[in-house]
Amino acid sequence: MINRYLEKTWVQYLCLATVTAILVYYFGWVFDFGYKFDWSVLYKEDPSYGEVLGGMLVTGLNLTVSISLMSSAIALGLGILFGLGRLSQFKPVYYFSTCYVEFFRNTPLLVQLFFWYFALPMGLPEGIRNFLFDQNFEMLAATVGLGIYTSSFMAEVIRAGIQSIPKGLLEASYSSGLTPFQTLTKIVLPLAFRAIIPPLGSEFLNNMKNSSLAMVVGVPELCWASQQIEGMTFKGFEATTAATVVYLSLSLTIAGLLTLVNWKLQIVPVKDRTMGHKFAHLLFWPFEAPFAFVAKMHRRMKRKRQDDFNLSRAQAARKAFLAKLSKVFGFIWKATFLICLAFLLFSAVYGISKFNFQVIADNIGTLLWWRFPQGDPNEILWGLGGLSFSIIMSVIAISVSFFIGLIVGVGRTSKNKLFLIPSTLYIELIRGNPLIMVIFWIYFFIPILTGHFLNVFWSATIALTVFTGAYLAEIVRSGIQNLPPGQFEAAVSTGLTYWQAMRKIILPQALKQMLPAIVGQFIAIFKDTSLAFVIGVLELTFVAQGLNNRLMVYPFEIYTTVAFLYFICCYLMSLVARRLERKLSTETFRLQM
Amino acid sequence: MKRFMILALAAALVMAFAATAFAGATYDRIMKDKVIRVGIMTDSIPGAFYNAKKEWVGFDVDIANEIAKRMGVKIDQVPVSNKTRIGFLQQGRIDISVSNMTHKRSRDNSIDFSITYFFDGQKMLAPKGKFSTLKDFVGKRVAVMQGTTSELNVKNLLKELGDAAPKVISYQKESECFQALQMGRVDAWSTDSTILLGYSAQVPGKYELVGDFFSNEPYGIGLVEDDSKLRDTVNFTLQDMWKDGSYEKIYNKWYGPDTKYYFPLTEKIEMWP
Repeated sequence: MINRYLEKTWVQYLCLATVTAILVYYFGWVFDFGYKFDWSVLYKEDPSYGEVLGGMLVTGLNLTVSISLMSSAIALGLGILFGLGRLSQFKPVYYFSTCYVEFFRNTPLLVQLFFWYFALPMGLPEGIRNFLFDQNFEMLAATVGLGIYTSSFMAEVIRAGIQSIPKGLLEASYSSGLTPFQTLTKIVLPLAFRAIIPPLGSEFLNNMKNSSLAMVVGVPELCWASQQIEGMTFKGFEATTAATVVYLSLSLTIAGLLTLVNWKLQIVPVKDRTMGHKFAHLLFWPFEAPFAFVAKMHRRMKRKRQDDFNLSRAQAARKAFLAKLSKVFGFIWKATFLICLAFLLFSAVYGISKFNFQVIADNIGTLLWWRFPQGDPNEILWGLGGLSFSIIMSVIAISVSFFIGLIVGVGRTSKNKLFLIPSTLYIELIRGNPLIMVIFWIYFFIPILTGHFLNVFWSATIALTVFTGAYLAEIVRSGIQNLPPGQFEAAVSTGLTYWQAMRKIILPQALKQMLPAIVGQFIAIFKDTSLAFVIGVLELTFVAQGLNNRLMVYPFEIYTTVAFLYFICCYLMSLVARRLERKLSTETFRLQM
Repeated sequence: MKRFMILALAAALVMAFAATAFAGATYDRIMKDKVIRVGIMTDSIPGAFYNAKKEWVGFDVDIANEIAKRMGVKIDQVPVSNKTRIGFLQQGRIDISVSNMTHKRSRDNSIDFSITYFFDGQKMLAPKGKFSTLKDFVGKRVAVMQGTTSELNVKNLLKELGDAAPKVISYQKESECFQALQMGRVDAWSTDSTILLGYSAQVPGKYELVGDFFSNEPYGIGLVEDDSKLRDTVNFTLQDMWKDGSYEKIYNKWYGPDTKYYFPLTEKIEMWP
């Protein structure tokens, strides 16, 4: 009886509206927050400081947007370069690209930013350093650091996209007489890019959100601005809300743009185009038209200068000369590359040999487990901290968020609005914000809502869990939607209920497909534990900062050790991911250029 | 669905109860439980920090312990940062916050403050011999810490001295400011002078304080809003500590002439007749 009503859409909407109304009433009028809201800090001039503090948010937004744009451009360029590099037949290029991708993917952005900003200039000659410092070095370090970090992810996306192109297509293009370069630009890249637009788009989104970390090197961007307002007025709730709203609208804008790009790229017959497709085509027409025109002209001019099969003597000599020349250039290029690589290796080894290893040896225990058995009685886990703390946090977050992701992901694919709308809201709300904001929210909100105070460890772990849950839900959703719909129809027609079909037929298959992505998310969450330092969790980064604070003169040693520790853990996980990917992939062929 | 609604209702009820359990005067709670929860920083040398043996020590730690001792209650030390100390106070996670907070009217809207328990002022730390007066910093880059009052103080100072667009860079931590100074990214670092002393003492002879104080930073103990009993108790305890000399003892332990962070005690705690 009740089930039949619940299948009606209007009943579902009514239920949702009722729940919303109850929540609004409860939190609007009944609940005592124990906090005095004063939204005027955002728009009124502050008497102590003689400034409208909300103005900082606007300047911050401006910076966030420009950092995101510039670093995205860098990331895309480097990503294509290293993504192709990972497919190269010239082994040194392949190894170098692989090292680059693995290294930057497997260390936290936070640690990388510290390195670019604080450590790198110390290794440069005085003149270059002074030149750099005369520029806006904060912006420079943050933008380049962010770009490099994102590029390692984009490189992987691009490599996977290119490798997913069927071998037959390649053979066909070679046999029709196209050169490798032509194959790449005319066949492989256009096809690959169409396939990788969604994952690439989410990297752009992540890049924007990650720009919030630029505040650690002193860039006054959006997150910085909200922190600043909080620090000056102690009105954290209002400042954080304002920043969250801005981040969310930025994310939604980017997501909207990506959907338009997606529509534009979809191959749909003209008569089947929806309003969205039409709108996208209209919107991108001004960008597309000049390229199309140039390409048309180019084709026209090219057509006249076709190679003949019967070459004259001079033509043949010219052709042979050109081939030889390109060979020589190729050789020179390879040699230069090798020399540069050797120099890089040498300077890295030389730099490390200058380290004061005694300092590392003395403090490695602190970094690994802080003051483990000798902690205060009111300390959590007997005073554990450092790397082991990060591991524990991520293990808890991973195991709990897996179930959240499963439930919400299934809810997200449901047709029932009662499940669909809350799931979508949860996913979009969390994914539209930087993790640092989620950490602040959980940290400030849980005590207000429950009246209980959590250890910072727990609130950071909950934040990580909630955050990962949203990402896993998206992975689960795409996994389910990737299965042919016939599977579900067949299952239901054999008499299974919705839940049985999900549990026995759909999820087992979908999970198998999703495994590599899930492991990737776990790596991300392990690295993200470093962000818990903002609320003072004694994890690896925080302990390292404390040590650095006390020892003062050994930042290189400490941060290198920290980066190394993070790297080892993440790399081991990514090895597992790769093995899974290989085991589960149907095609073992590796495309080479 | 029915079950879902029941669950939602139950959750709402639990929240309602939790909310009522929330209220109650802090002072009475402290005296009932015989425990005072004090927020203390972890990375401010010599205010409160972990030393080489990973023990939590410092001037603020000693002051907090002394207050608890005099109130006859046990102390529960809660680590806070300049991001969390206010949130904790407002939500009742801590009862008082001894974490070098400058008393500002704008901040008094959110929490209460005790009388001043430490007097500091802002100065500039710069490489030795490079600068002689504050005027020399016009057009130079200065590092400050975010979430503190020092940033605006520096900006206002430089503007007054004729710098149209002051180059002030703010970092999240003290150690980062010092590192920026060490690598030459900034020409000076400005914050409360005791912090500067603490850092420059780590590499003796390389850095010096330049010029006079250009701001007063009266440190107050942060207290929950509207609990006059607690505020009176803390204020009187501070005055008692000053009167019988135990304040001076603690002060000299961290800032006295025999320490690395020598900072002469010039002002007096205000005594009410």
